[in-house]
Amino acid sequence: MAQDKPDGKTVVVDLFEDVPAGAEFQVQALKPVATYSEPAFAFVHTPTKFAPNAIPLDRSAPFILRAGYKRKLPAGEYQFRLRARGAAVFQLDGKDLLNTKAQKPNTTGDDPVPPPVDHSDPLVRPLQYPHQDSVMKVKLDGTEHNFTLIAVIGGKGLYPSPGELSVSFAHPGEVDRLLGPDGSATLTDTDWDKYVAASDQRHRQDDLVRRRQASAEVVAAWEARHEKIRAALKMSPGLAVPNVQPGTPAYNDIDRFLGQKLEKTQTAPSPLTADLEFLRRVSLDLTGLIPTPAEITAYLATPAKTRRAKAVDRLLESPSWADHWVAYWQDVLAENPGILKPDLNNTGPFRWWLHQSFTDQLPFDRIAAELIDMEGSQTLGAPAAFSQATLNDAPYAAKADIIAQAFLGQKLQCARCHDAPFHPFKQKDLFSLSAMLAGKPVKLPSTSTVPVVEGGRRPMVTIALKAGESIAPEWPFKTLVEHSETAALPEKGSVPSRHEVAAYVISPENERFAQVAVNRIWKHYMGLGIVEPADDWTRGKPSHPELLAYLSREFMMSGYDIKALARLIVSSHAYQRKPVGNGSDQMSAETRIFAGPVHRNMTAEQLVDSMHLAAGKEFECEDMNLNPAGDRPAKQFLNMGKPTRGWQMTALSNERDRPALALPIAQSIVDVMSTFGWRQSRQNPATTRDDAPSPMQTLILANGVLGTRMVRLSDDSAYTELALRSIPAEELVKETFLKVMSRPPSTDESSTFVSLLKPYYQSRKVKGAESVITKRQSDNRVSWSNHLSAEATLIRMEEERKLRMGDQPTKRLTTEFRERYEDALWAMINSPEFVMVP
Amino acid sequence: MNLTRRNLLKTGAAALGSALSANAAAIHLPKGKADACIFLWLGGGAAHIDTFDPKRHGDGKLKAGSYYDSIGTAIHGARVCEHLKHSAPLMDRCAIVRSVTHTIKGEHAAAANLLHTGRTPSGTLQYPSIGSIVSHQLGSKSEEVPAYVVMGYPNITRDPGFLGAKHGYIYLTQIETGPNGLVRPPDVDNAREDRRETLLSKMREGFTKRNPKDEAIQGQAEVSRQGFKLASPKFLNVFDLQRESSTLRESYGGEFGQRCLLARRLVQSGVRFVEVSFNLNFLNGSGWDTHNDGQVKQHLLIQDLDKAFATLLQDLEKNKLLDTTLVVIATEFGRPAEFDSGGGRGHQSEAFSMVLAGGGLQTGRVVGATDDLGLAILERPVSVPDFHATIHCALGIDPGNVMHAGDRPVPVTDHGKPLMELFS
Repeated sequence: MAQDKPDGKTVVVDLFEDVPAGAEFQVQALKPVATYSEPAFAFVHTPTKFAPNAIPLDRSAPFILRAGYKRKLPAGEYQFRLRARGAAVFQLDGKDLLNTKAQKPNTTGDDPVPPPVDHSDPLVRPLQYPHQDSVMKVKLDGTEHNFTLIAVIGGKGLYPSPGELSVSFAHPGEVDRLLGPDGSATLTDTDWDKYVAASDQRHRQDDLVRRRQASAEVVAAWEARHEKIRAALKMSPGLAVPNVQPGTPAYNDIDRFLGQKLEKTQTAPSPLTADLEFLRRVSLDLTGLIPTPAEITAYLATPAKTRRAKAVDRLLESPSWADHWVAYWQDVLAENPGILKPDLNNTGPFRWWLHQSFTDQLPFDRIAAELIDMEGSQTLGAPAAFSQATLNDAPYAAKADIIAQAFLGQKLQCARCHDAPFHPFKQKDLFSLSAMLAGKPVKLPSTSTVPVVEGGRRPMVTIALKAGESIAPEWPFKTLVEHSETAALPEKGSVPSRHEVAAYVISPENERFAQVAVNRIWKHYMGLGIVEPADDWTRGKPSHPELLAYLSREFMMSGYDIKALARLIVSSHAYQRKPVGNGSDQMSAETRIFAGPVHRNMTAEQLVDSMHLAAGKEFECEDMNLNPAGDRPAKQFLNMGKPTRGWQMTALSNERDRPALALPIAQSIVDVMSTFGWRQSRQNPATTRDDAPSPMQTLILANGVLGTRMVRLSDDSAYTELALRSIPAEELVKETFLKVMSRPPSTDESSTFVSLLKPYYQSRKVKGAESVITKRQSDNRVSWSNHLSAEATLIRMEEERKLRMGDQPTKRLTTEFRERYEDALWAMINSPEFVMVP
Repeated sequence: MNLTRRNLLKTGAAALGSALSANAAAIHLPKGKADACIFLWLGGGAAHIDTFDPKRHGDGKLKAGSYYDSIGTAIHGARVCEHLKHSAPLMDRCAIVRSVTHTIKGEHAAAANLLHTGRTPSGTLQYPSIGSIVSHQLGSKSEEVPAYVVMGYPNITRDPGFLGAKHGYIYLTQIETGPNGLVRPPDVDNAREDRRETLLSKMREGFTKRNPKDEAIQGQAEVSRQGFKLASPKFLNVFDLQRESSTLRESYGGEFGQRCLLARRLVQSGVRFVEVSFNLNFLNGSGWDTHNDGQVKQHLLIQDLDKAFATLLQDLEKNKLLDTTLVVIATEFGRPAEFDSGGGRGHQSEAFSMVLAGGGLQTGRVVGATDDLGLAILERPVSVPDFHATIHCALGIDPGNVMHAGDRPVPVTDHGKPLMELFS
């Protein structure tokens, strides 16, 4: 990244790695590994370190942060405050002024909970457990001074983050202000929260820019590869697009490929969706969110002829595009991080890398290859996190199964213990692929076999391998692709035989790779694959082989661009038709016609994200972290941050069943999501979720804490603001329907809801009442180190109790009106229509 | 005969299933008459030598041994910890299994997962908990009552795994809160609920009328109607412990006891499997995971367990439910006789105790035995699958029954053999 010169406007920060123990503060002569700037002396994030292929890497443990700044301060007495979680020193003109002690790694859960944080001092943000303050008064003479902070970040047994590292200063009796240019933020709760939010956003944006800069060469190499593939494809003629009869609707070639079978079977295509139905569906499909009223208005204001295409253009550029895809691949790739001493076939959190890959619109073959190479940081969310399988005695067999299903439609799971009885796979196939991923021969664990019981029946499955037998690395799918050219890959891999797997899988000669990807993406939008099951191609035939070939070719021509393929599919008439059936009668290739997409319900993520969006509420969820004190290593206690979208939720890992380890708000979200088919534990890959409608879904939404919060008219609710607008009751009902249901109410509905609200409408506003927004804050004094104490237990139980009361209702609306409007919202969110994708 | 591929798959899978299962042909499986199970979970790893397998007295420091004196029980020759004084005279209704063994002692979650699912994770599928298996094998007794209820925190070890959400559980974390999702929000009274459901039915009927021929939409509307049946006042009344006499409530004891009382009411209402978690770690600062000074007040946990367990057995008996209700005391592992530097105990999975009570079993006996300090098994090792097989057999479930994860057959237990001596 660019070297920042001190300009008096920003604080220059250097990071150092691999600094010898004992010499952490002697970095003067060392070369920094990164230099950047911050607006003031407050450091809650550090830039992510990226490999040349943009994959996140770990920094050394510990690493050193040095911040320097020069400025004049008017002559007088000052009090300086260094606030840090670990060892740090603050120097004035090269002399140590303040220092804090190293943080001790924690070993038990028996510590006492520290006394409650006192929020009464308006001058300074209370010290957060387990931070330390070092304070000193000095007299300054009005000349320019050199201020330097050196801090040790992380270390053995500690979490590698700066915590709330800051230096502030104040005239006696005045408010603490962060050291930096004039006008820097004060060290008060309000300013601090704003500073952290801005820092969060700035670092995310910086990371994005830096990883794109860092990977420019790799991007070019992939483009070159795709150019070659394109040239080769152009040598052979594309498929002839069939003609369809005039009555068969066709927006693009997809419809022409589908048209033949429709005509042959004399199936009438399902009618086109209404404009607003289409908008809701395509918004959910491309971004995972229902449309906002503003989006609906803009959409309806666009000429009818182009409005659908324009909406697709807009949605494809939404940052939420990545959010929606991550959720799908978490299931397919069995992403399964555990936040508490992971040991249930857990992986690391490679969700973050998936998200950046979809944000950066990486070609799909690159995503597959990088996943298979399994490099980078295990805890910061790089593909290395995929390599983990805690407490699994055949970890690479598990990975081989996932890779084969995800990218080749080869389901090997049965081959874990015996030759697959219904698939053409031998146990040896799985383990030889497993050995390629391991980079060495693997031994068959005794658990990966079927015991033959003496006197029992002879197993009907063939057990070709013996426990303990060694299996050598070998590519098992020669029938799909015979050659691998690792040299032709744009990136290098550190495990040669693993890299070879990547080369085989994404080889352009391997038609199956593009076909499986295309089929998954098709299924994602149409509800059913051209091949079913989409993860098990030995059991199904394509219903439309030419369409599959056409889409694969288009996909490869586009440079394996998922977005281009998505645009092609959602622009078809077929996608834009009304849904037909639930697909259960179309499981064989012969019966699959695609008269329309099949009915789908919102996924768990779409549901919770859309409810929050419509209500204008934040997740307000605890951090996905059971060690806020940071005194345990990241591998034992991941810190997955504060979720803002459903896919960022994770299993809450309270197998210990201890109240102090509960995260009540997260639990209320997880309760809804797991009832709607989200898997909190993804021990195995899954392409289709078990999310059939169930009575429990009705109940958890109707009575659960999250549903209650979503309809509660608190002062942070967008519905409250809507209800306070000076519009007629009829208009409020219409606007509410647009917001929640993405359509205006029917005449019947309008009269029902208007007559519910009307008697209380004129007098609904309470004069003089003010908006009071209180954000829920989890008491972060509770950490793993003290979770066994009675106090920690009581703190969390009290949070649970408070949460059940729901969000604080607004005082700006009368209770009579508020309750009725809440009931109206409740009825909409709980209506069967709300969860069904139109 | 029409041999479709689908049918072939089915017969193939069934045959394969029996081949994969316990050697069903070789032994005659008992079929118990219990129809419900109360699974008392002592999370953290209850020390067997401080509860159901007492040994010589240790000193809390260098001299290894039990932390308490022992007392005689209704089982001739069998002794238990002195703090189990209410349960001791009732041990003839119990079988103390002193020789449970497995190999996971490092991590609580992994061991708890093993004790709930009977298996270690393979990465090829997620195994269901025993509660979900019982729900799958026996089903609900009626539409208005769930098959499986958990009192404790929802977590992976209790999940239905490949059996799917319909074999999941209703849960509550504290008695006073009631079952999650079934109890209305505190600010919704009857009038509001009526208003809500009227508005909802308007929305629903409008939707179905606009789409009269769409089966998916009609189906979704039907599910929406069904949901509210499960939250029937009749079932919710089960959670109201005030309907029991204050004498009975008091004799059950604290929060754990109250949960046991609720468990009895749930079983009475038709629930098949109730897991009751004893997770009140604040009683001694560590729960059953008695490292360091968690040991000092461990007797408070034992006394709570004792009071609740003894009352539960008597209460079930009084309601003529003990013969048809299997009560299990389970934990993820035991603890060694030696003390750690803080005066507590580490983990020990090589040998530890669990208890089976009622359920129509041949009780009043001790199964297995450990050495002088309870460190190793001397006779009759019982694996976790064996222990699970015993629970299943008591409930009339063949532990070799085959469940299906897709087309993959998975037996109810991983080659578990029931403790035959507990069946007549």
